Amino acid sequence: MANEVRERNWEPKIVAFVCNWCTYVGADAAGTSRMQYAPNVRIIRFPCTGRIDPLFIIRAFQHGVDGVIVSGCHPGDCHYVSGNLLARRRWIVFRKLMDFLGLDLRRLHFAWVSATEGAKWAHLVNEIVEEVRQAGPAPTWAMPTNGATQIEASLPEIGPPPSPPPELTSQIREIAKQLLGTGEVGVVVGYEKATGAREGAATPTFVNKPEDADRLIFNEHCIHNLAVYLTNPLVKKFGKVGIVAKGCDIRSIVGLIQENQIKREDVSIIGVVCNGVVVNGRLADKCVACPVKVPHIYDHLVGDPSSVQTTASEHPLDAQIAYLESLSPEERWNFWMPQFARCIRCYACRAVCPLCYCQPCIAEKHRPQWIPTSPHPQGNLAWNIIRAWHLAGRCVGCGECTRVCPVGIRLDLLNRKLAIEVERAFNYRPGFDPSAPTPLSTHRPDDKEDFIR
Amino acid sequence: MLRKRLTRENLNKWIDGLVASGLRVIAPVRERDGGRGARDGKGGLTLFRPITSSAEIAADYTKTDLPFKEWLFPPTEVILHYRIVDGEPVLEDPEVDATKTVALFLRPCDAAAIPILDSVFGGDYEDEFYMTRRRNLTVVGLSCTEPQPECFCAAVGLSPTSEAGSDILLTPVGDEFLVEVLTEKGEQLVNQYADLFADAGDLTKEQVTEQAIAKMLRKESLPTFAETYSELFEHPVWEEIARKCLGCGVCAYSCPTCHCYDIVDEATLFEGVRCRNWDCCGFALFTLHASGHNPRPTQAHRYRQRVLHKFAYFLQTYGRNMCVGCGRCVIKCPVGMDIYEVVKKVAQASERVGV
Amino acid sequence: MVTVTATGMAMPRETVKVSRNIYKPYLMTIVDMRDETHDTRTLRLQFKDPEVAQTFDWKPGQFAQYSVFGVGECVFTIANSPTRKGYIECTFRQVGKVTSALRDMEIGQTIGFRGPYGNWFPVEEWEGKRLYFVGGGIGTVALRGVMQYCLDNRKLYDEILILNAARTVADLVYKSEMDEWAKVDGVTLVKAVDPGGETPDWDGKVGLAPNVFEELKPTPDNAILVTCGPPIMIRFMLLAAERLGFKPEQVYTTLENRMKCGLGKCGRCNVGPYYVCKDGPVFTAAQLAKLPKDF
Repeated sequence: MANEVRERNWEPKIVAFVCNWCTYVGADAAGTSRMQYAPNVRIIRFPCTGRIDPLFIIRAFQHGVDGVIVSGCHPGDCHYVSGNLLARRRWIVFRKLMDFLGLDLRRLHFAWVSATEGAKWAHLVNEIVEEVRQAGPAPTWAMPTNGATQIEASLPEIGPPPSPPPELTSQIREIAKQLLGTGEVGVVVGYEKATGAREGAATPTFVNKPEDADRLIFNEHCIHNLAVYLTNPLVKKFGKVGIVAKGCDIRSIVGLIQENQIKREDVSIIGVVCNGVVVNGRLADKCVACPVKVPHIYDHLVGDPSSVQTTASEHPLDAQIAYLESLSPEERWNFWMPQFARCIRCYACRAVCPLCYCQPCIAEKHRPQWIPTSPHPQGNLAWNIIRAWHLAGRCVGCGECTRVCPVGIRLDLLNRKLAIEVERAFNYRPGFDPSAPTPLSTHRPDDKEDFIR
Repeated sequence: MLRKRLTRENLNKWIDGLVASGLRVIAPVRERDGGRGARDGKGGLTLFRPITSSAEIAADYTKTDLPFKEWLFPPTEVILHYRIVDGEPVLEDPEVDATKTVALFLRPCDAAAIPILDSVFGGDYEDEFYMTRRRNLTVVGLSCTEPQPECFCAAVGLSPTSEAGSDILLTPVGDEFLVEVLTEKGEQLVNQYADLFADAGDLTKEQVTEQAIAKMLRKESLPTFAETYSELFEHPVWEEIARKCLGCGVCAYSCPTCHCYDIVDEATLFEGVRCRNWDCCGFALFTLHASGHNPRPTQAHRYRQRVLHKFAYFLQTYGRNMCVGCGRCVIKCPVGMDIYEVVKKVAQASERVGV
Repeated sequence: MVTVTATGMAMPRETVKVSRNIYKPYLMTIVDMRDETHDTRTLRLQFKDPEVAQTFDWKPGQFAQYSVFGVGECVFTIANSPTRKGYIECTFRQVGKVTSALRDMEIGQTIGFRGPYGNWFPVEEWEGKRLYFVGGGIGTVALRGVMQYCLDNRKLYDEILILNAARTVADLVYKSEMDEWAKVDGVTLVKAVDPGGETPDWDGKVGLAPNVFEELKPTPDNAILVTCGPPIMIRFMLLAAERLGFKPEQVYTTLENRMKCGLGKCGRCNVGPYYVCKDGPVFTAAQLAKLPKDF
């Protein structure tokens, strides 16, 4: 098959995803004008570039193509007005994702080719085929045999944060009693002391009755993002939900509101001033540069805003991201491939993420089966890329996915990288403004397109 | 049973000898950490991996992150190949791993899981994919002297020095090892290196066992529900317990005995494979019918299945508890579900029901 | 793209070909097909391997895993009786991925077949008894094999009553065969549709299957009731049977559950201490009462 024997006379195999109204006609024009150009491209026709899901690009590479071209109408000429403008936003971010994973960008090209630009199409194809030829056969989606790349940059090791004062716990209990007693909420989602083997830690809990509110606590072990329960039917059945939320959790709640998964009035946010939580005796990565130690949106505020300690300015993951960016694409591929090969498809990352609420998840759709369910390296790579992509511009960096992964995959690096790119390109940080449109559902005329031919 | 003693030095010599003899030797190995530093507690995952020398074995090894079952029952395995020839499918049997293997230092909980898996994959329809690997495997268990906070093997009928599932069991006594050679396979392995082993004499593991059990935090015997599950089935305690369960698969996948699997086809127009993949009863789609009917529509139903399968149904069908008390599900669960606590809570609920 | 490699583990040094692969299906050719309703089709299949065709045997009530290669496997009852050898029949409704792919197949094409699996109707214990077969919609498919068996061994059984019910006339399965059943001596055929499901020229009964059954005044003396249909119909049939005086040991049904391996290993059809694929799918009402309501 495609990834097996590479013959000496290897020819690049390239797939082009093009829009029906412009590029397809342009390519056809090239043909009817008898322009000679490289035969290595297979064209797949879409109604609009706006329909081209990066999932298709991933599948193309998964099936062994050496290069992908995506092309459509020039901005302003879209048959559907703005499909290509939305697509452009997607491409800006998706390209960065693939580059970060170690795809040689000589394999991924974007272009505007209009119906009259047959010559441009022919020229483009010739250029791209040569670039892909230079890049060589695409790497197979299997474990690299020459050893995994290691990250030679470290994460900060910062001691544990100060324990939140006990007043926070008593304030939370009071508020919960009041919310439940008046019937304003049907359940309060918070934390309680863990028992058993995890003595000393905290664990999520659900309080229905005011007299049970004394179970609630808040301490530096309250790491879980409880916003995940806001879309859980066993919790929603109680009606309005009161939720104990740190700033990071509130950012997730904002995301759920933005995306119409919950209404603002269906949740009563008990925002907690938080100096950080603890993982294995150290400050959690997500807390090191946290911008929301004082909650930004809440119905009740617990804790003293003046008690927050200064935050580092550089995000703790950025040094490792910069290190990976300094490597060659092949070295980056050799980092990510072994990471994903370890994945056992437990979907803990998905289960714990408040923004992974799709029913069914793309991985569960089977007509067609877009993402192979088997935990082999190809299936795992497809799953993890698609998940990172679906969270681009939405992930608030709560770090839960990375904490819960039983095999320690560096999902945090992927999500942080995309957050950086979205902020850089669109000046957008998720989880602050419930009325803001999500970055990939909108577009601006000045979205940068210097990478589009 | 043969009883021998082994010094630490000779243990390493034995292991290196086994490697040199051409056997595949699998032992707990600490992998490099992908840059996560000490976030995993010890820096990097500890997994059963092949070694080329005794020096590669993880120091301070308590328990691996993933259980040993991946070497008998891999997360994904091809069970059928086919090609389309002249429009017709031509079926091909796959090759299965038949490498002669020695697995070192399975804890007694992990070793006890192997007979449990044997009863599932053996039986009426022998699963050759599992059994070929099984027959070529010799297990050298390693007793525990330092139970971890999550451990509770003593509560499920095992102990830190149980012999179940091991061909040879090593127990550290002082600065030596008591070697209990339990099966013929074990004998073969020891006899080839007979000069490294001395007679056990009066070396026993009784004291080690007592001390280890004393250190175990959760040793009070757990009840099972084989006789009582029908009355407990509709009890509201299940929803109370399962409300925080997120329905991920970490518990099942890190469990040494969980064995549910899915069968899927992956194909192109010209050829395809049928794969067997790990699956988990906690997933929402596990029992979903094509008609849309789901016998286990909520997480409460699904979590009940997990607990009752392990502590009731398997017991009735195969005669043994399906939990070995390793505690991996407890430490890996994203929200801290603790099956030991859960079983106790269900038992309390059953008392209130008068069962 | 079908290259499958191990997840981060060393490739094995020695391998051996599997010799008795329990997951490997027989190959069968589709030799005929008939549409029962707009979404239900019966296929007639023959084994490609002549030796298998000669020796293959099964008992009424057993099922098999039918494969569409590249798409997946699906469980259906073996819909013909072992008294009618030389072919295997299955009747299925198009509801999902595999059944849709199966519906796209043509006569002459090849599918896979793994079986026979499961337990069977204890037809020897029924000898001399009066038999009532009540099938609802596609539930009648599960009964056809055992019904054919009893009809083919007519002398072994007392009177036989077959109630073939469905929501509407269009949903009735085996419309073309039913009259053949009625022609057998001592066999009464009753057809019924739900209220509102009848056509102007409908000459059968109108009513929900359990009600129609009760109105026929069946007697539980020395009788066996075999019923299958949607879960709600089975529930009401069991209640009706109880009202009519049938003991739970006299009532049989066959369960449907999501299955994958069909052999009692993969855990998917696990209900209580049983596997529907191994300890079922045939259960008496007495056994069903002991099963946790997990199916």
